[in-house]
Amino acid sequence: MRAPLLRVAALHMRFGARVLFDGAGFDLQAGHGYVLSGANGSGKTTLLRIIAGLESAQQGTLHFRHQVAPASRIPEPWRREIVYVHQQPYLFHTTIEKNLEYGLLQRGIAAAERRARVSEALRWAGLADKRDVPPHKLSGGEAQRAALARARLLGPALLLLDEPTANLDGQSRKQVLELVTALCIDDHTVVIASHDPEILRLAILERLVVADRQIKLDEG
Amino acid sequence: MDLFEPTRQAFALLFSGDATLWGIIWISMWVALAAIAVTAPFAIAAGFLLAKLKFAGRRVIIVFIQALLSFPTVVIALVIYLLLSRRGPLGAFELLFTPWAIMIGYIVIALPILIVFTVSAVQGGDPRIYETARCLGAKPARAALTTLWEVRFAVMAGIVNAFGRVVSEVGCALLVGGNIAGLTRNIPTAIALETAKGEFAQGIALGMVLVTLAIGVNVALAWLQGRGGLE
Repeated sequence: MRAPLLRVAALHMRFGARVLFDGAGFDLQAGHGYVLSGANGSGKTTLLRIIAGLESAQQGTLHFRHQVAPASRIPEPWRREIVYVHQQPYLFHTTIEKNLEYGLLQRGIAAAERRARVSEALRWAGLADKRDVPPHKLSGGEAQRAALARARLLGPALLLLDEPTANLDGQSRKQVLELVTALCIDDHTVVIASHDPEILRLAILERLVVADRQIKLDEG
Repeated sequence: MDLFEPTRQAFALLFSGDATLWGIIWISMWVALAAIAVTAPFAIAAGFLLAKLKFAGRRVIIVFIQALLSFPTVVIALVIYLLLSRRGPLGAFELLFTPWAIMIGYIVIALPILIVFTVSAVQGGDPRIYETARCLGAKPARAALTTLWEVRFAVMAGIVNAFGRVVSEVGCALLVGGNIAGLTRNIPTAIALETAKGEFAQGIALGMVLVTLAIGVNVALAWLQGRGGLE
């Protein structure tokens, strides 16, 4: 069996007296898509934020690409490989093009390649006509698609999506669902925290269940 | 008292390019702007760190800095005077009664204003700004700059406030500057002096410059805020 892309081991996390994880652990295989399900407040978002380095767990280790780090602080280089998208993504107060360019600039990508990758990402997200538009002029669905495109164009080894279809309805939700499905089909390693029945039903996704302070791969 | 004649004389002084008057304005401007330029980078960085880092005593430090906002500037000036006076610990530098002494006073006055406004701007800003920058691969310093850029209008309001406070400050400039004509006489100290002498025209002219400055800086801020929204 291949070594996992990410292994979470012996994870302990609590907020005050409330224990979210007590010795939890699981593996993620490269190129697989996972949906993270569980009751409200079970710790789905917190788990994604720990992996992304936005929260510090009290105990536990993360193994990523043959490197080990405490779950309290991920190494800086991992941040270039693991990208987390908030439930309500934040788009910087500039144009959509500059938003998409931001991560590429941090990686020192040359201007010509940046332009090409941003153009491709805008087309992928169906936002080619929104290149010069500021974020406050986008709908909720368009903002979510822009955030997905901004994350995808960085080519992360692991993409963490927090409730990408929450607060969306109708056509907006359908369009975001299509992009999420496309991400999973395209061999990205994706973990999606979601309550959305349509995402939960996607056959391409394996199901991780957060319950009883543990995280289990649902073999059924 | 007749206000018309002194006001007419004030306009005449301003538009005749009176060297003494414009010299006073120049001293006021460069000392205040230099003090803000020197203070802002450190104060904004300190404000960001105070807003973002969690450490024991952080709250106490913020409360202490907030308390400094209401500290009488004349007391600040007195302390600086004692430090810079010939027998003081910094007397060897011979800074007392020079524009540098006024600038030191201005820095001490502007520092807490800039820190408090930055803390408030960052804490009041969206926490997802810094997180998003980090998630997209920005290093901490770059993510901090991105956060400050996103909340720049609140930070700029602090800069405007600090500038307004120091450029109109009289106690400190008088005490540690000495109100020396052509060297440390600035707008507020000149207004105080000219008014005491009954020379209202120059006082009114300088007062108009101060008011114009205040309005101009605020109009510029409002214009920038409009541009920032890309409306």
